[in-house]
Amino acid sequence: MSGCPGSKTIDFSEKTNQEGSETGKRPSQLRQWPIQMHLVSPMAPYFQGKDILLAADCTAFALGDFHKDYLKGKSIAIACPKLDSDQEVYVEKIKALIDDAKINTLSVMIMQVPCCFGLAQIAKDGAEKATRKIPVKQIVVGLEGNILSEEWL
Amino acid sequence: MHKVINQEIKQIISAYPEVGRILEEYNIGCVPCSVGSCLLKDVVGIHNLDPEKEATLMYRIEKAIYPGRNVPKPVVDASKKSAPKKITYSPPVKKLVDEHVLIKRLLALIPSVAEYTETSMKVDKDLILRCVDFIRNYADKYHHMKEEDILFKYVDEKAEVIQIMYKDHDTGRGYVRQAVEGAEKGNKAQIKENLLAYRELLTQHIKKEDEILYPWIDRQLSTTQVGEVFQKCNAADASVGDALPRKYEKFIIELEEKFLQEVTK
Repeated sequence: MSGCPGSKTIDFSEKTNQEGSETGKRPSQLRQWPIQMHLVSPMAPYFQGKDILLAADCTAFALGDFHKDYLKGKSIAIACPKLDSDQEVYVEKIKALIDDAKINTLSVMIMQVPCCFGLAQIAKDGAEKATRKIPVKQIVVGLEGNILSEEWL
Repeated sequence: MHKVINQEIKQIISAYPEVGRILEEYNIGCVPCSVGSCLLKDVVGIHNLDPEKEATLMYRIEKAIYPGRNVPKPVVDASKKSAPKKITYSPPVKKLVDEHVLIKRLLALIPSVAEYTETSMKVDKDLILRCVDFIRNYADKYHHMKEEDILFKYVDEKAEVIQIMYKDHDTGRGYVRQAVEGAEKGNKAQIKENLLAYRELLTQHIKKEDEILYPWIDRQLSTTQVGEVFQKCNAADASVGDALPRKYEKFIIELEEKFLQEVTK
């Protein structure tokens, strides 16, 4: 198989080894609007001093417990490093989140496909441009919704 | 077994030396520990062994304590996370690990300083006091205080492992006081004895922190807490300025050059 791993067709609909419980309802942990990186303002009150999750668009669909395990307690911005345009704006927004909104931490959640690492690079560039320093974490999600790695950069 | 896992490790090793040997096999260095007041359950938990190793270790310890008992084969708790293959640290903890490097460079020089003191006609009081100044102001004030005033506040400070760290810090301060007294009196043996004791203590202390304590603390810190510790440590560093770590790095480089020249004379 060749071609871009980010758009390669893979079908895992036959996956049977599904652990977990289907019982009970889980509430949304989203506490803000908007969430798309081009639409959010770093000066929005929901970013001030908070822990931020910068999530690649696909991650929330891949991770079964995205809300419970990763969104809870955080503010969010989402982006796609493969398809979004004007991504230099994202670097400036991350810088502003760190310097002006004085966010506490930045967790970047990406898919395992190579193009998604572009979002981690955007986060690193924004953090490097910022005067303030904060801890930045990278979380890599597998195509089947498993966490492949979670580490501080 | 329930009673035993809540006992201090020193008592257990004293009563059942085989347990000490088993722990050594798993790189759990309780036998030489001068305090030994950690409970067996904490000793095992803090090392973050993978579930299979932990179950086997507990099985072997129980067999060593109760050789006649029909101990069931180890049961692996698959729900527990496996230990990571390599140690990684959160950014604030990584900064503390990095600060250990400069301290270890001084520790590496202490035998040369001690030998130089012993063989010199007269005690080089200025040299000893400059080493003490590094220990007091870089190792202790700059580094240990961030542990005591910030990092340790995020875990159970009453935990034995934290108490042992506090005790190590205090013991180290005692050795330094004794070394200063030796320098004031011109007592070469007192200087040598206490500097070497400090070296031995801090070498083990740093190893415990890098390999056991810091990873244990990191596992307990939430993302929010990592951010808080990071900002508090940065504020503590900013309060003394960049000049302080630069000054002490320069001192270590000078000391290394001095003793490298002594060796190559």
